[in-house]
Amino acid sequence: MSSLGGGAASNSIPTISAAVSSSSLASKTSASNSSDALSSSNRQLLTTIQIVQQKFKENENVLSIFEAYQIIGQEHTSRILCLVVSVAGGTYAVFSMAASRLPPRSCSDLTIDKVFPLNESFCMGNDRKGSISQLQFTLKCSDEQPVKYFYYPLSSDNDVVDFDTFQAQVTSAKMSMVLSPSESTALSFAWVNDYRQIGEVKQEMKRREHEYIKYKDFTIYCATYNVNNKSYIDSPLHLWLAASEDAPDIYAIALQELDTSAKAITFSENRPDYMWIMKMLESVHDKGEYEELTSVRLVGMMLTVIVKREIRSSITRHNVKTIARGILNTLGNKGGVAVSLQLNEANLCFVNSHLAAHMGFVEARNEDYHGIVKGLVFDDELRRTINDHDHIFWIGDLNYRIEEPPGLQLPVARSTAHSAEILLKYDQLRQEMRKGNCFEGYTEGPINFRPTYKYDPGTDNYDSSEKQRAPAYCDRILWKGSRITQLAYNSVMDIRQSDHKPVYAVFRVSIKTRDDHLYKKVHEEVLKLLDKRENESQPQIIVEKTIIDFGMVRFNETVVSDFTVSNACPMQVGFEFKRKDPPLNAICEKWLRVEPWKEKLMIDSTKSIRVKLSANVDSITSLLQKIRTTNWKFDFDILILQVENGPHIFITVTGEYKPSCFGLSMETLCRTDRPLCEYDQQQIKDLMNDESPEFRVTMPREFFLLIDYLHKQGPKVEGAFTLDSLEFKHARNVEFNDIRDWLDTWSNNEFPGTPQAAAEALLMLLHLPEKPLLDPYVDDLLKTKTTAEAMELVSLLSSPKRNVFVHLCMFLREGIERKYYNGMHVATIFGRVLLRSTKKSDDYYRDINCREFMQRFISNGEMSTLSSSSSSASSATGSHHNHHRATTPVAKMKNSASNASLSGGSTAAVDSS
Amino acid sequence: MAKKTYDLLFKLLLIGDSGVGKTCILFRFSDDAFTSTFISTIGIDFKIKTVELRGKKIKLQIWDTAGQERFHTITTSYYRGAMGIMLVYDITNEKSFENIVKWLRNIDEHANEDVEKMILGNKCDMTDKRVVSKERGEAIAREHGIRFKETSAKSNINIESAFCELAEAILDKTAGRESAENPERVVIDRRNNEKAPAYKSCCS
Repeated sequence: MSSLGGGAASNSIPTISAAVSSSSLASKTSASNSSDALSSSNRQLLTTIQIVQQKFKENENVLSIFEAYQIIGQEHTSRILCLVVSVAGGTYAVFSMAASRLPPRSCSDLTIDKVFPLNESFCMGNDRKGSISQLQFTLKCSDEQPVKYFYYPLSSDNDVVDFDTFQAQVTSAKMSMVLSPSESTALSFAWVNDYRQIGEVKQEMKRREHEYIKYKDFTIYCATYNVNNKSYIDSPLHLWLAASEDAPDIYAIALQELDTSAKAITFSENRPDYMWIMKMLESVHDKGEYEELTSVRLVGMMLTVIVKREIRSSITRHNVKTIARGILNTLGNKGGVAVSLQLNEANLCFVNSHLAAHMGFVEARNEDYHGIVKGLVFDDELRRTINDHDHIFWIGDLNYRIEEPPGLQLPVARSTAHSAEILLKYDQLRQEMRKGNCFEGYTEGPINFRPTYKYDPGTDNYDSSEKQRAPAYCDRILWKGSRITQLAYNSVMDIRQSDHKPVYAVFRVSIKTRDDHLYKKVHEEVLKLLDKRENESQPQIIVEKTIIDFGMVRFNETVVSDFTVSNACPMQVGFEFKRKDPPLNAICEKWLRVEPWKEKLMIDSTKSIRVKLSANVDSITSLLQKIRTTNWKFDFDILILQVENGPHIFITVTGEYKPSCFGLSMETLCRTDRPLCEYDQQQIKDLMNDESPEFRVTMPREFFLLIDYLHKQGPKVEGAFTLDSLEFKHARNVEFNDIRDWLDTWSNNEFPGTPQAAAEALLMLLHLPEKPLLDPYVDDLLKTKTTAEAMELVSLLSSPKRNVFVHLCMFLREGIERKYYNGMHVATIFGRVLLRSTKKSDDYYRDINCREFMQRFISNGEMSTLSSSSSSASSATGSHHNHHRATTPVAKMKNSASNASLSGGSTAAVDSS
Repeated sequence: MAKKTYDLLFKLLLIGDSGVGKTCILFRFSDDAFTSTFISTIGIDFKIKTVELRGKKIKLQIWDTAGQERFHTITTSYYRGAMGIMLVYDITNEKSFENIVKWLRNIDEHANEDVEKMILGNKCDMTDKRVVSKERGEAIAREHGIRFKETSAKSNINIESAFCELAEAILDKTAGRESAENPERVVIDRRNNEKAPAYKSCCS
């Protein structure tokens, strides 16, 4: 106990550290190191490599960067690959970063998405070179799947190296670590783990660790004892385990040769020996309350970690692992057992190893060491190796012997206390460490105790048996990592069961600890920053105008408006017009066309969108319906331009519809008191919603004008109604608009078209209103058997509809009689128009049904019922000044119709009152 | 890309008459900033903000809607995806307060039945122009059983607490129903319940 606190400093000990030439690495990155100074004032002047450098900590230098991309789904996503060296760890790694814009403007544009440490399993393959447009390579490390990258033949940035250079740099970086094989195991990739953290928040927190980390001292007590298959009974173990003045925080107690029986070896005994653990718990420092954290055993080797109750909650993770290095590297008589744990923010590793025995087997021991370092991988989420820890304590029977110095051959001669210094000169472990053959980077404190092997059990005397084994420092405790101070290192002579003496070492370790208050503050800042970054990186599109005003829109005229959309963000952005909810279920109303409806915008690009509006035969019905039912100000439509992962922009398509007679119901037309061209949209909307039974005329004048014109044409109307009249071919010509204007102005001029066009206009007038002419009795009418029955229903129609129907039938009948047109065809098309199904069913039989219904009204013998109806209709015409104009053709028609047909006779008049 | 690091994602919607300060409220909450120039929102904009509630990282995706009357029909189609709705009026604008009833009816018709609601009387810093008393705001909220707060985006009054309270109310509901082990589940479930997803392609 007297030695405690004495040998704190390790100044006199040869410290073997990883031989990394930090100066050569630093020289390449002098430019990048200055980036911090520049960052605040001259952000825009930073080169890409300087920005990339900001993702890393001090002592981690970006050597080169390379632009690549990955194909995820259908998308090309940019990646920046960079080769980074950790000066402290002496190791290299390739980092893959996702860039939210290229070139990045600040380090917040970059997110590390993958890390490839350049360890032995790392592999950069480009054996399958693709075509010139798809150059590819893969990166692979450990047992993970290779990751595929593509790259462009030319790079855009001066900072960025070409592929060959990058590959050469990566290869040589890897080679430089592998060149001296002994070094490779000492190199630490622990720094890389900081970047493997899942998620941006953790990554960013790790990067800013220095802002919330403080160091807290813990006492760690390491102990090792080769018990030589002996029981602990009666051993004063407290001399070994409670040798420090203060109660330590953590114990790592290593035993060897717990049970080296053939049975234990063959069955790889791995159940911790609880009798031993109980004894340990009894023997640890009595000033503290302790509990076992974990134990791990492989045959003779057991490592038990015991912790003070009060710090138990500071240990957030612990894992164990064993590795056999005995015969054929499968038996566990030799090898190692290890515990990995996280104490606050630091990762600690304790290794208990029993290496190959016998004086001459130095190489075998070195090999065992390397085998353990390479082969032992914990099953934690990061698959940590021993070197992936901040603080490593290597404890055990390392079995290194003392080369026989001249004159000191006999055990007795080596027993003098002051000879330790001389003996250590010939200590194989120290010799090998100096040569760099094992335990690279490890430190051992000064040894001020006698060799711990080999004693006659029960005594303090060296081996007196025939073999006379030379004494040696077999039992050792080494450490690796920063902020470790050794407080004691000693053996215990008074424990005598074994042929070894137990050894212990006490350390003070400054453990990275989170300051909760600062952590919370930084965490809040990080969340804020990441939110801000996400909000700022939201794709944005600038739309030239959000209101498209078409002004006055006329029936059957297509109007077009173009507007531009521009990419307003530093990356490719997609957009599309959003499909509206059912019943529309389309991106826009029927009367609109939007092209293109979906597009991708490259950086800095602009595209033109064309909006076409046409209120024509295909759309006027629904347009008028929308005008009629819109409560608020009428807009033709509101388009939703939906930016992919971004905002939705409303684009209002507005203007005013100039009413025309087409599409308006017979009732509405009968409410007008002047030509349609003199109405505006609002006035016509009011008329459409007017439900009073008052009408200004008995029949729409537009209907009269057309019937009158057709009637006057005599034989010229031949073939005016054909089966394809309902395709409205004339209406799709510009000339048709003269007919529209002729009707909408009640023109006195000559009809500006052919009889065929007039026939089509007549059909349109009847076909385009929201409801068919015989609504609401369509279905009932189709069920009627006799004309009289049907006429009863017809008499229930509103007077404009009834009058139109009667006159239409008389007119058609006359034409058919005079053989101007085919009665069957006329019945078919007018059946479809007047009895149009509102349910949009396409029933063949219904079609026939409609035709037959119409035939009853337009063929011989039925007209008698109609004549009186027409007379009453004409007499009902109002006293308006247009009265004369409106009634004249009807009167004429009536006369001609009755002249041509059977006169008088019938009394089944349709009552129009 | 880096994996998203949040436990839950809540979608919130801001609605209310044009000019009551919806965008300003969102801007204050997400960027802790305020600008007095009025730019009418023409469409749907969103911002995200991560908050910690009861040890859970909750990502709020807040959708700001156009308040203009001509857009009312179109904005209602966005109600369905929302888990929480902030209904905002302006304490200096009587009409915007009267319309609260209309907005509530809209919510009843178009939003999820279990949507969490909160009424905000904004611009409470403008005491000299106040026309709607706090009592009237409280009364209408009480009548409909909805949370209520008077806020000021300009003076940063109650903005953060309003969002956190709404988020907490949603958390209360989800906690009862879902185990938090599967962070995405809550959101996905909700989306699946919709007849037609309202913003299928724009959820992060």
